[in-house]
Amino acid sequence: MRIRAEYSIGPELRFLSNLDTMHMMERALRRAKIPFALSEGFNPHIRLSMGTVLPVGLWGKKEYFDLELQQPMPPGELCEALNKVLPAGAHIVQAREIERNAPSLMKAVNCAAYGFILQMSQEDISRICQNILNAEKLLISSRGKKKGVDKDLRKGIYNIDIQPYEEFFCLMIWVGAGEPLNIRYDEIVDLLQQQGVPPQAILDVFREGNYIRIDEELYSPLER
Amino acid sequence: MQDRLFRDILPRVSKPIRYTGNELNVIKKNWESSRVKMVFAFPDVYEVGMSHIGGRILYGLINETTDHLLERSFAPWPDMEKLMREEGIPLYALESYRPLADFEVVGFSLQYELSATNILNMLDLAGIPVFSRERTDEDPLVLAGGPVAFNPEPFCDFFDMFMIGDGEEALPELLDEVERVRKLPRQEKLRQLAKVEGIYVPSLYKVAYDDDGSLASMEPLYPDVPRRVRKRIVANLDEAYYPDNPILPYMTVVHDRAVLEVMRGCQRGCRFCHAGMVYRPVREKSVETLQRQARAQLENTGYEEVSLASLSTLDYTGVDQLVKGLIEEHGSKGVGVALPSLRVDAFSIDLANEVQKVRKTTLTLAPEAGTQRLRDVINKNVTQEQLYDAVKAAFQSGWRAVKLYFMIGLPTETQEDLDGILQLLEEVKRIGNQYSRRSVEIRSSMACFVPKAHTPFQWQPQNSIEELQEKISYMTRFRRKGIKLSFHDSRVSFLEGIIARGDRRLGQVIYNAWKNGAIFDGWSEYFHFEHWQKALEESGLDPAFYVSRNRSYDELLPWDFIDSGVTKAYLRHENDKAQRGETTMDCRQEDCTGCGVCPSFEVEIDLRGGSERAHQS
Repeated sequence: MRIRAEYSIGPELRFLSNLDTMHMMERALRRAKIPFALSEGFNPHIRLSMGTVLPVGLWGKKEYFDLELQQPMPPGELCEALNKVLPAGAHIVQAREIERNAPSLMKAVNCAAYGFILQMSQEDISRICQNILNAEKLLISSRGKKKGVDKDLRKGIYNIDIQPYEEFFCLMIWVGAGEPLNIRYDEIVDLLQQQGVPPQAILDVFREGNYIRIDEELYSPLER
Repeated sequence: MQDRLFRDILPRVSKPIRYTGNELNVIKKNWESSRVKMVFAFPDVYEVGMSHIGGRILYGLINETTDHLLERSFAPWPDMEKLMREEGIPLYALESYRPLADFEVVGFSLQYELSATNILNMLDLAGIPVFSRERTDEDPLVLAGGPVAFNPEPFCDFFDMFMIGDGEEALPELLDEVERVRKLPRQEKLRQLAKVEGIYVPSLYKVAYDDDGSLASMEPLYPDVPRRVRKRIVANLDEAYYPDNPILPYMTVVHDRAVLEVMRGCQRGCRFCHAGMVYRPVREKSVETLQRQARAQLENTGYEEVSLASLSTLDYTGVDQLVKGLIEEHGSKGVGVALPSLRVDAFSIDLANEVQKVRKTTLTLAPEAGTQRLRDVINKNVTQEQLYDAVKAAFQSGWRAVKLYFMIGLPTETQEDLDGILQLLEEVKRIGNQYSRRSVEIRSSMACFVPKAHTPFQWQPQNSIEELQEKISYMTRFRRKGIKLSFHDSRVSFLEGIIARGDRRLGQVIYNAWKNGAIFDGWSEYFHFEHWQKALEESGLDPAFYVSRNRSYDELLPWDFIDSGVTKAYLRHENDKAQRGETTMDCRQEDCTGCGVCPSFEVEIDLRGGSERAHQS
């Protein structure tokens, strides 16, 4: 049985690396005595695959992993059992069974949404959003594999929205993830600074979610 | 404080998870209602400190079984230290985020001679005066324990007191006493605390030196201060506290697994080995206790591996039964068993084969010396045949790489012994080519011998840097395909040697080295010999006095007042036997060797593993 779970990583766990998060999940699976499947071979591993990497320093609302079970277990029970043993800050939101041959998260997820909580007026933020959406090219220096090479972010920016967030505003931005165009969150930070957002105005950054984007429509990895 | 760290500081440092605390199984006791507040300070980074079993034991022991409180603190990496100094953030404890200065006791773990500069740096970063004499009634009591505390003298300037021997015996008693004498002025308080067995308060002793620089006398200042400080031991390890709920770090630490301490002490009697002398006698746990402890730890952590720790795990009398039992109980859940140290014999390889579920990558063995003569001198009771049998068994069962540990600069060493190492490596390689289907890789690591206090070699001279360099360049001329040699930094060994057998006068050297910028001296990327050289010059002390000199049996040694239970007569006898190339057998298999520890502590070696005797090797 194959399960896909949606989980959240709270601000208190924002400094975990992807590997740290994976170890945390594996050890929680063991403590909760989940009937996970093990890989073959001399050094058996839990058949767990984590979705796209949540950057160190960010917290995340809708992150995903896939898990292979040796014996069936109702997804609701799995969530409950894991939530009993996970540390504060990590929470399984929901889970469902997926098909054995469903594409992996790394293949399927192609869009991510990041929230930037900004200490700026709504007008200033709107102006910056308009500038970004109206631009034909948005060149920044790549932070990824081709470090330092100019990279055009424009094609990878799908949408921007402004939402109230406590006494501040949150700039929500949907960008390409994985293939074909991967936009890193620190590249968005560079872009915002290029557009006039002072570094100290960025109060917090989080990943709102991961999506499967088909024909401009966004789907949750649990739906597809 | 926590907010500020999370917002402004931690996003700017490498591996910020080192500094956040809040791991699973962390114990946060109520500050107000806890009696004595102590912080366990480890003078290295988080991932090193969190791998240390002693710290795990004390953390659980104090927090779970007493009304005192014990929090943790580690040395921040230089990038974090820089930010903390710039931003005025004092060194804090990971549980409450309180500065170290808020605690009544700050206890450092002394695992390594050169962690001294990190200790001073941590005290300074905590705003606590680094010199004991400059502390007031408002400052915490600064304590040190651990193996290096068996020669506390070089560190006397910085610590108010030392705890000698097994901490689980002494620490709860000490904290009770700290509470009782809380109201007294600092010096009075320390005088009372010196009455706790195993506690040494250096400021209560007066030392004098002879014209030749050796120690002339060491006298207590008051009649109620003990002349000798006796180490503490846990007589019954099987019934001693051991944590079932260890903290589960988020980051990958050096030893990232459940750890069982199968026994404490080792009586093989290797004459160079400090731990083998000061942790006597051998005390084992029963297989049933260990199985219960493994079960509890695995359930409470979810670890995928359990490691069997001790000075010589293959000598544990129940090792066979324990390993098989653990694999049977936990193996199907994907939990592996790890043996951290292997003995040089075929039995060890058989057992290693059983537990080694991962690809058989590297097998590590420690013959220590290259010829039988020199192995007899150091009492490493391993024969050439045993070694060749072991590697043959290993290569036959699929291992492809062997790592061999040796020491250079051992007493009586000649060129023949260095050649012996090289010949031995070639022979191991030949056996590998013969018995392995694929090409094999032989790696050998050469440490520079450092004579340690409380060992039979405590009177022996240490090779100078020049002598060691000469030996290293002689050996590096040897080049064979598939055999790699690596050498420890002889300058690091030189400094370790000075401190290992040093006296109180070295306090200024340590202080000056730190002032000159020395920090993380155990990490090659931060080690700067110049800082220490300059400090030695500034002090006017002659390093050769500490390392290169032949000490006479009549000399009063700075650590003689520490009673490890092993008599000086025994150490001397062993040193004499070494010169004659005579070996001494393990007292578990042959007769009592007369080291003195059992009668002194009214205990006996405690073997509980089941088999009648330790496996003969």
